[in-house]
Amino acid sequence: MANRTDPAAKSIRGTNPQNLVEKIVRSKIYQNTYWKEQCFGLTAETLVDKAMELDHIGGTYGGNRKPTPFMCLVMKMLQIQPEKDIVVEFIKNDDYKYVRVLGAFYLRLTGIDSDIYRYLEPLYNDYRKVRLKSPEGNFTLTHVDEVIDELLTKDYSYDIALPRIKKRWTLESLGALDARKSVLEDDFEEEEEKDENEQDDLEEEVAHEKDYYQTRSPARERDRDRRRDSHRHRDRDYERDRDYDRERGRGRDRDRDRERDRDRDRDRYRLREEKDYGRERERDREREGRERDRRDRDRGRRRSHSRSRSRSKDRKRHARSSISPRRHEPEDGSAREEPKKKKEKNEKKDDGTDHPDPEIAEANRIRASLGLKPLKL
Amino acid sequence: MIEVVLNDRLGKKVRVKCNEDDTIGDLKKLVAAQTGTRADKIRIQKWYTVYKDHITLKDYEIHDGLGLELYYN
Repeated sequence: MANRTDPAAKSIRGTNPQNLVEKIVRSKIYQNTYWKEQCFGLTAETLVDKAMELDHIGGTYGGNRKPTPFMCLVMKMLQIQPEKDIVVEFIKNDDYKYVRVLGAFYLRLTGIDSDIYRYLEPLYNDYRKVRLKSPEGNFTLTHVDEVIDELLTKDYSYDIALPRIKKRWTLESLGALDARKSVLEDDFEEEEEKDENEQDDLEEEVAHEKDYYQTRSPARERDRDRRRDSHRHRDRDYERDRDYDRERGRGRDRDRDRERDRDRDRDRYRLREEKDYGRERERDREREGRERDRRDRDRGRRRSHSRSRSRSKDRKRHARSSISPRRHEPEDGSAREEPKKKKEKNEKKDDGTDHPDPEIAEANRIRASLGLKPLKL
Repeated sequence: MIEVVLNDRLGKKVRVKCNEDDTIGDLKKLVAAQTGTRADKIRIQKWYTVYKDHITLKDYEIHDGLGLELYYN
């Protein structure tokens, strides 16, 4: 008797509104003492009082999957079906955040798409904290705008499957909604301008460093080379070769430079294995210094030319291997290790998805997608 | 690697391959992947013992071919 929907209530999505909550959770709510004691004979007005007493939100918790009072009230609202004005009042009220969340949740379950976006998006600005009961039974902290975001993006919340709504851009193209205007839009524009300014500053910096290097003497550069050579046992040969070449006074043909660039590439690739950025940058600078020493002719044009070229190459090479050109700039560690790993392991995968037995391979694939280790055979 | 059979006596009988050191929570995820229910809706029991999520199969002494009961929350 008490669990029957109001016969005057309209059906939602073609079914009894209470059926929005699935059977098992529904029976759990009906058996709950809060439901039996407090939610008996509630009307829209008395519901408001009960909602004001709420102090946490959540789905079912514990080993028994006990529902929270929040869920019981949602169920009650589905049962009595308050008017849309009342629900909007719930949402608009500013004092009681749990009443707000309750109204928002109910609207998400029962409202039409455009209404949902229209009324729930302003709630993105509400950043108050709310208490959330986790499925284990502990309390955690979340915020009103996080809850709203979940309601608008996920399809399952607080143990209730949220009905599907159209995407925002669909509604925009239909003309039912205006384009989304975020309150933070002005802040974003400022940030964009700041980023653009920073880009310009970076380029200026490069120009400044050129001047800085001009003042360093070649002798000092050479001393630094020697000191550094002592603790770079791996690259000592390359260093020595280069110094030797320099002392010999080899020509500064374009080809020579290119060879040197290539050597530098190889060194740089090796260096990256050690992941020593500081050393590398010094090396780059020292290399720049050496380049400058060798250039008598076309100093102005050549220097800026090569330096900008090599510099941009430097920047790019920091994230790319010199051997295989890549389109994207992936994260540093993985990018460098991946080409090596791929070379070493050929095509043997370490999560067992290439096992000869198809069943095991399939099982391993599922495990990998869930984040589990492969089967131990 | 062991293979466990889960039966809910309503028509769903699932054979799942898993490691002994997987936890019950992992097993629930595997079952969810195979049956299509959500992992947190599944309850695995043996008679009246409800198996907890954080304990491994090895500690529960679940061996190869053991039949478990599948219930829903």
